[in-house]
Amino acid sequence: MPPDDGHCFVPVSAPLQTADEAELERLIAACARRDARALRQLYDLTAAHLLACVLRILRRRALAEETLQDVFVSVWQRAAQYEPRRGRPRAWLFSIARNRAIDALRRERINDDVDVHAESLPDPASDVAAESMMSGRLAAGLARCLELLTADQRRGIQLAFIDGLSHAEIANVTGEALGTVKSWIRRGLLSLRQCLER
Amino acid sequence: MKLQNPEVIDALAAEYVIGTLRGPARRRFDRYRAREWHIGRRVIAWEDRLIPLAYTLPPVTPSPEVWRAIERRVRAESPPARQLAARRPLRALAAVVAICAVLAGGFLLWRAGFAPGFEPIATIAAGDARPIWQIELDADFTRLRAVSIGAAPEQPGRSFELWALPDDGAPVSLGLLPVSGRLERSLDADQARALRAAPRVAVSLEPVGGSPTGAPTGPVLFVAERRLPG
Repeated sequence: MPPDDGHCFVPVSAPLQTADEAELERLIAACARRDARALRQLYDLTAAHLLACVLRILRRRALAEETLQDVFVSVWQRAAQYEPRRGRPRAWLFSIARNRAIDALRRERINDDVDVHAESLPDPASDVAAESMMSGRLAAGLARCLELLTADQRRGIQLAFIDGLSHAEIANVTGEALGTVKSWIRRGLLSLRQCLER
Repeated sequence: MKLQNPEVIDALAAEYVIGTLRGPARRRFDRYRAREWHIGRRVIAWEDRLIPLAYTLPPVTPSPEVWRAIERRVRAESPPARQLAARRPLRALAAVVAICAVLAGGFLLWRAGFAPGFEPIATIAAGDARPIWQIELDADFTRLRAVSIGAAPEQPGRSFELWALPDDGAPVSLGLLPVSGRLERSLDADQARALRAAPRVAVSLEPVGGSPTGAPTGPVLFVAERRLPG
């Protein structure tokens, strides 16, 4: 079943937005000490957000939930390797989730050579970046820098990053040439970095 | 292929993070990322830039079966968690007693200053040879312990950070040093590798919490030879 296409942004303050990064850090440290209750609390605070991210990439609920299981088992196993020095517990959790989802995609043999079914592709008009910028949910710096990109660049990055599409799939969805899509993304990422570093 | 051009590395790191780097190229980059610290750092920088976008998606509540499966898998691999979660009071009591025994044992070992498996690998001393920290390591390079054995220079509002100092290549952080007492931490594969390859360790002065960049930002205060454990 295709996930929500991003059109219905509800301006709610979700648990993860309000959860203090310090609290996530404390829970990860407790997981490293094999405290199973901490894993449960971490799950309560983050699972719905991680599932949203994984489901958007995998588009199949059963596969996404299976991947979410792997994510938390992996968090449990790797908690001791988490480096609090870097102070990025949320990004750490999301990067585990995203990498697991991309691995699952690979296992499902959905890659550059095999396109996913057209009907399960996201609506190319849906612009998560623009909508989250307007809803004020994005950090001001990132929102400002995304705004500086062209609509095509932003959409290219978003279809890749949020929807998990390959270059070829993005070309398919947008009806643009593969080379054009690659250049949108490459230039968009470059502008984004330059803007964020300013 | 050897990755050297920083712009190329950064572009690959970005495409790795957004997921358009796929197939064999992704796996290859994954290996580089784990092996080369400066590549891993670029991946982390891109994650930090973009991941806030991923958590603006409307949350999707998982079905209850997901947690049940996680719980089963986690318990299967960690027997102490299973004991703690035992329903029967007697088993729970036994678990509590066992934990107390372990804690008491641990405390006694700590009091006796005896830690099985740890070997000193470096002594960090001030200019006048007065020792400040002893760095200890277990035999398989997975746990590192820093013990404060003398007064560190007064540096209010700053942290002391320990680095593996390879002959060539960038220093790799081994974490912060305690001003008193001891700190013990796990080393990840990158840190263990860096430490094996590094003939020296160094201490730099950093903002509280350690270097914000992953490379030393403050002055290097001390350098010490690294001995092999055993």
